[in-house]
Amino acid sequence: MGPVRALKRTNPLTVTVGVVLCIVIFLFLLTPSSDTSASAAHRKAHAASNPLSPPTSPFRKSNERARDGKRIPPPVVHYHMNNLTSSANPLENRETILILTPLARFYQEYWDNLLKLSYPHELITLAFIIPKNRDGNAATAELQERITKTQKTGPENERFASIIIERQDFEAPLSSQSETERHKMENQKARRAAMSKARNSLLFTTLGPSTSWVLWIDSDIIETPKTLIEDLASHDKDIIVPNCFQRFQDDKTKEDKERPYDFNSWQDSQIAKDLAANMGPDDILLEGYAEMATYRTLLAYMYKVGGDPRQEVNLDGVGGTALMVKADVHRDGAMFPPFAFYHLIETEGFAKMAKRLGKDSFGLPNYKVYHYNE
Amino acid sequence: MLPSYAPKQRGSITYSNGSYPRSKETFSISPLRFQAKTSPRVLGRRKQLILRLALIIVVVSLFGLFLWPGGSIAPLFSLGLFSSSEAFELETVRYYDLSNVQGTSKGWEREERILLCAPLRDAESHLRMFFAHLHNFTYPHHLIDLAFLVSDSKDRTLPLLSELLEDLQADPDPRQPFGEISIIEKDFGQKVNQDVESRHGFAAQASRRKLMAQARNWLLSAALRPYHSWVYWRDVDVETAPFTILEDLMRHNKDVIVPNVWRPLPDWLGGEQPYDLNSWQESETALVLADTLDEDAVIVEGYAEYATWRPHLAYLRDPYGDPDMEMDIDGVGGVSILAKAKVFRSGVHFPAFSFEKHAETEGFGKMAKRMKFSVVGLPHYTIWHLYEPSVDDIRHMEEMENERKAREAEEKKKAERQKKTKDQFTDVGVQWQADKSEVAKAADKAAADEKVAEPALGVGEIKKTDTTPAEAGEAPPKPQEEVRGSLGRRY
Repeated sequence: MGPVRALKRTNPLTVTVGVVLCIVIFLFLLTPSSDTSASAAHRKAHAASNPLSPPTSPFRKSNERARDGKRIPPPVVHYHMNNLTSSANPLENRETILILTPLARFYQEYWDNLLKLSYPHELITLAFIIPKNRDGNAATAELQERITKTQKTGPENERFASIIIERQDFEAPLSSQSETERHKMENQKARRAAMSKARNSLLFTTLGPSTSWVLWIDSDIIETPKTLIEDLASHDKDIIVPNCFQRFQDDKTKEDKERPYDFNSWQDSQIAKDLAANMGPDDILLEGYAEMATYRTLLAYMYKVGGDPRQEVNLDGVGGTALMVKADVHRDGAMFPPFAFYHLIETEGFAKMAKRLGKDSFGLPNYKVYHYNE
Repeated sequence: MLPSYAPKQRGSITYSNGSYPRSKETFSISPLRFQAKTSPRVLGRRKQLILRLALIIVVVSLFGLFLWPGGSIAPLFSLGLFSSSEAFELETVRYYDLSNVQGTSKGWEREERILLCAPLRDAESHLRMFFAHLHNFTYPHHLIDLAFLVSDSKDRTLPLLSELLEDLQADPDPRQPFGEISIIEKDFGQKVNQDVESRHGFAAQASRRKLMAQARNWLLSAALRPYHSWVYWRDVDVETAPFTILEDLMRHNKDVIVPNVWRPLPDWLGGEQPYDLNSWQESETALVLADTLDEDAVIVEGYAEYATWRPHLAYLRDPYGDPDMEMDIDGVGGVSILAKAKVFRSGVHFPAFSFEKHAETEGFGKMAKRMKFSVVGLPHYTIWHLYEPSVDDIRHMEEMENERKAREAEEKKKAERQKKTKDQFTDVGVQWQADKSEVAKAADKAAADEKVAEPALGVGEIKKTDTTPAEAGEAPPKPQEEVRGSLGRRY
């Protein structure tokens, strides 16, 4: 008899409370959708109609066959690449970023760091290349789990525009990935040649016609400033690298410290040039080995405590741990040579090839990203 | 758990309330039946409530519309839950296994996808011919993705291309439409003209080739996808090529393979000629030459400035040779290249800088070799490039045309002159004939008369009169006409 009695009292107060409640509910329902509508609209507008489309855009899930069982031919698509920009203010021009990672092991911190990036995620495409071996399978499984979580059930503004996972059979050298084994000098050339091929495969199959910037991040980069993309782009350089450090605990003092990690970003030296001049055509110069003292000026050691994070220096070789490149540089043909290119290989060879194409590389000695400590 | 296609038996056996079916005749012994529905008082109140609720909703939605005039009301009805999947569901994750797209000799059986790349610039006149070739490909069309780069075109290349592609994709024959189609518009601001002479002039070669390389790289990097097994580069100005060219080249299962490219010529130039001189084998001479050159220098083949003494694929052609014969080469020409996509994936591209003293397709061949890929040419498998006359040829052709015109004019003039002669001068031949017969008659008569008096002389007289009219019939007009003619010219 309860509801009946309540209805009897046709109190104006009840009505007003009801109205207010309703407004609150509608407000609640409307606010989130109006918040994400911009990104949702962007996603929808940039969705392609079929799975053959450039992988940097999402596509509509629909069966490829029409009702009468005939194949619907894909449409003719125009790409206006004259309008594509890579500017100092990527957000203003709604420029799309392609984040490329050759993945050997999956680190949760790496993924968390990506999710924290402040650049609008609907403008970011992630692409991974993972070797087809036991470690790779494990990493893929973990990655896919995180991806499902983010893309399917995560908040809309955390979802990325598109995610590409590629698997490839690497040649043997990459199979053992322990740090000591990986850094042995004689293994370096083969390892880095295989790495170059992996990077090139990933790059040239995912670049597509609408990418403005390519950001290379290694899978073991676990900490970067939230505004990494905006910061690196704001320098408006063809190729730019932050300084890669590693946090560690001092064995004796048990203090948290950090040390330079990536030695592949450097300015060339005359000694290195002389060394190269006396080398065979397929030999390569390596950095960070006592057997081969090059006396190059390393970006890693240019860091000054309290230095200006916007300070730029010219570089002749770059490392790949974190590397921001205007997509045009890659489009012109700058790739990661898997062979001795001017006695340089992989990312260092890339900087040289870019230079041959008239594109210069820069480093930010006081802008740091952090590598995982094994 | 039953599979979803299994018939739902539960519902058909038992009833949802768990009781057996009761018919209307069944006697109900329950006296405590609640009969609220029939009570008019409660019904009236419910109506009132519904009315009020409706009023509230209207007020609130009006208020809402006032607050967010631009906002859609759709999320209200879907409760904001389906906002991302209203029209369609988006797929954002793609998974590719690159070991499935390495490229094999029987791609059409394994459904391997080919990316066909064609760089275009002011190519309007060749497009229809190119599309005829596309129609004729025997490789399954839906496995071929087309990518065009239209750059710096001043003619109607772009609109015509779109039109032809739309038609192609809308073809009622289900075997005609192709796979993904991309038209990429990008201008590189090329200063070099595209006409034959400036295109092939030696001085312009290095920078021209670098720009071409840049265009090719842009096209490839924008169109290559993780699902491609092969990449086929084809110039639009190929006039004749076998329909089965894709399968023919693929069958060799090489990383990079090119056919021989010749071109037909007019008869006065010898009928045919090797066209693509960029497919060659490296020579010692060229390597020594390369060492002497500046870092940015580019060796271009087919010019007297660089005598490389390389064996060219084009010159090794034997029209009756085995078309399957292979030849290892180091530089490749770009007219028709079939390469495994893995070559491009591993980083081989068209150097837009001097790579080992070469650029574009020749540098591509060099780089592929450097990465230990197989680069092969087929000397006896020939496709024919369109013949576009060079400036010299055009000049020669003009001369020939002028000669022909002069000859024709001469002939015409002659004919006219003859006609004029015929028209303006009455043919006196008939008169002459008449006169002749008259004279002959008269002579006969005279002879007959004279026969009586002097029979021996008569024969000679007749002979004389017989020849005179015939000579006179032809000869007299000539001097007269010449006089007239010279007069006519003077006045």
